[in-house]
Amino acid sequence: MSTTGVFFIPSNPNASTALATITERLHTALADNPIPIGRWALEHKLMRDTPSCLPASASQHRPQHPRYLQFLSLSYSPHHGFIYTSQPDATTQTGKANTPTPTPTPHPQPTPQQNPHHHHPADPTKGATLPVMTTLPLPSTSTLFSHFVYACQPFWCHRHTVAVPGGTVYDVGDFRVRIGDVRQTQPTARVRGTVVEIEWRGPSIVSTIVARTSPTASSREGNDAGDGLVTAEDIQDGDVEAEYRACAALIREFWAKLGVEGAREAILVPGVGTEVVGRLQRWRKGLVAVSGVNEEDPDPDAGVDVARQFMEIFRFNR
Amino acid sequence: MHELLLFASVPAHQHHELLQQLAGLTAMQPRHRLERRLIFKAYRKPGLINTRVGASQDLQGNEMQRLNKMLNGGMFYTQVVGPLDESDFGLNRSSAGDPDAAMSGTEELPTNGPTYSYENQPWKLEFRDIPEAGTRSAVTARLMASSSLPKGDISTPMTAWGYSFVSEYVVEGDIFVLDDIVIFLHRVLNYPTEPQSHEPRRELPPLSDMVLLERSGSYVLQASITVQDGGNQEMMKTASQHLFGLREQLKSAVRLEQADRLSLDTRAK
Repeated sequence: MSTTGVFFIPSNPNASTALATITERLHTALADNPIPIGRWALEHKLMRDTPSCLPASASQHRPQHPRYLQFLSLSYSPHHGFIYTSQPDATTQTGKANTPTPTPTPHPQPTPQQNPHHHHPADPTKGATLPVMTTLPLPSTSTLFSHFVYACQPFWCHRHTVAVPGGTVYDVGDFRVRIGDVRQTQPTARVRGTVVEIEWRGPSIVSTIVARTSPTASSREGNDAGDGLVTAEDIQDGDVEAEYRACAALIREFWAKLGVEGAREAILVPGVGTEVVGRLQRWRKGLVAVSGVNEEDPDPDAGVDVARQFMEIFRFNR
Repeated sequence: MHELLLFASVPAHQHHELLQQLAGLTAMQPRHRLERRLIFKAYRKPGLINTRVGASQDLQGNEMQRLNKMLNGGMFYTQVVGPLDESDFGLNRSSAGDPDAAMSGTEELPTNGPTYSYENQPWKLEFRDIPEAGTRSAVTARLMASSSLPKGDISTPMTAWGYSFVSEYVVEGDIFVLDDIVIFLHRVLNYPTEPQSHEPRRELPPLSDMVLLERSGSYVLQASITVQDGGNQEMMKTASQHLFGLREQLKSAVRLEQADRLSLDTRAK
């Protein structure tokens, strides 16, 4: 897990996408030469609560804020798929979770959603409406999707499926860039645009925390030598937040150099960094070995931040 | 996926003998199994459905019809199942006075308490549709889905997905496998006390305190075959025949038969 940003450039159904432009700019606009290192792919399925899909005139009970249930698989997260679910907005009517624009600060919470040690029901102020991120082995995510399609029709309606069938991965200096065209496969096949994921791979507190708290950290000395002296006490929760902001600035700067207009950005989306802060807190308590190691999935938290960013983008206000 | 099943009732006094017969038949030792089973019900805010089917068809067309049909579609109960070990249950009364007293949810487990860790409890979603109606074959056939779920607190994702927690129980039994047939000889245990909160329990009482659902202590013998492609009639037929084969083999011991369809109705109204 590292810090990333996702950009999306929509395109008209019959026009060419921004892919060629971005690829060309990658080669001409930067000081470092991009090195193509492989391919990548993703698939995303969007469900929305059925009552909210009705036209406003048809039902006076139509909910104010639609709820979403999103499934994402990434070829570079082979161990699991991601499921991202809006919480029922019973507590607050403002529906922060449904705000499509990125908020300026990440929301590190005292309790990571994935692993709440104990449920504190009386905590309506903190993140009560943050969507729930879950990761599951890929076969299970597709079984669950079929289950919701079959057995939950009154409250979940499949809106669309989009995929990046064959994207390209480049290493550019301290960044890794994944670009590819987004194709809608359901309900009708059409091109939606081009997606760009920019990953900061330089030194960062986040990668240190992740490396140190990884369930597979048996080869801990294999990390950068510079990390050797860092302890959990050296890092405050606020440092993580600041780090995410700093990395966001680096990523935005990189993107600006490419000079591509009309992009939607998802970097500091709600919930980003939740798991990293949770891991830092567990590390501080000396609980590095998070839960029993699962043979199917060495690190269930891997990739959740970038998954949140893709989810934000692929909702398309549908 | 589809599941084909036959059931038989086994009185308590026959249990030991039948275990041995099954061990002989399947040439394997019984696999003891303890499972937590949480029941969730698909939840829909009351009053949401007031759509008048047909009223606006002319205006909205097919999409409206489709959505209306979906809104009135079936909803189901589903189970969330977690494997348990005997050591997960609380110790006997001597050490823990009232096992539920500690449930109010403090961070520390009591030092002399059970080792059960709700945070690390693995779960699986086990969905079963109502058995198919009007099948000529004398087996219970139903659509099923089985998927792993995240560990630990399962209420949060289940609630977000539209399910509300109803209740829970424990199943105790032994599993045998004969070719493609899974034989599960089991009975249902209820918790001795009412839950203090409307959530899955975070601690388990001593196993000896669990209460038999069927007071006489009788067991259910369930023989099942999973068929990946339920639309494949050949496969379904072959699977049924395998179950009938088992029924013949066990004829002298138990009477395996189809279950009453409505007794396995999982639809939520």
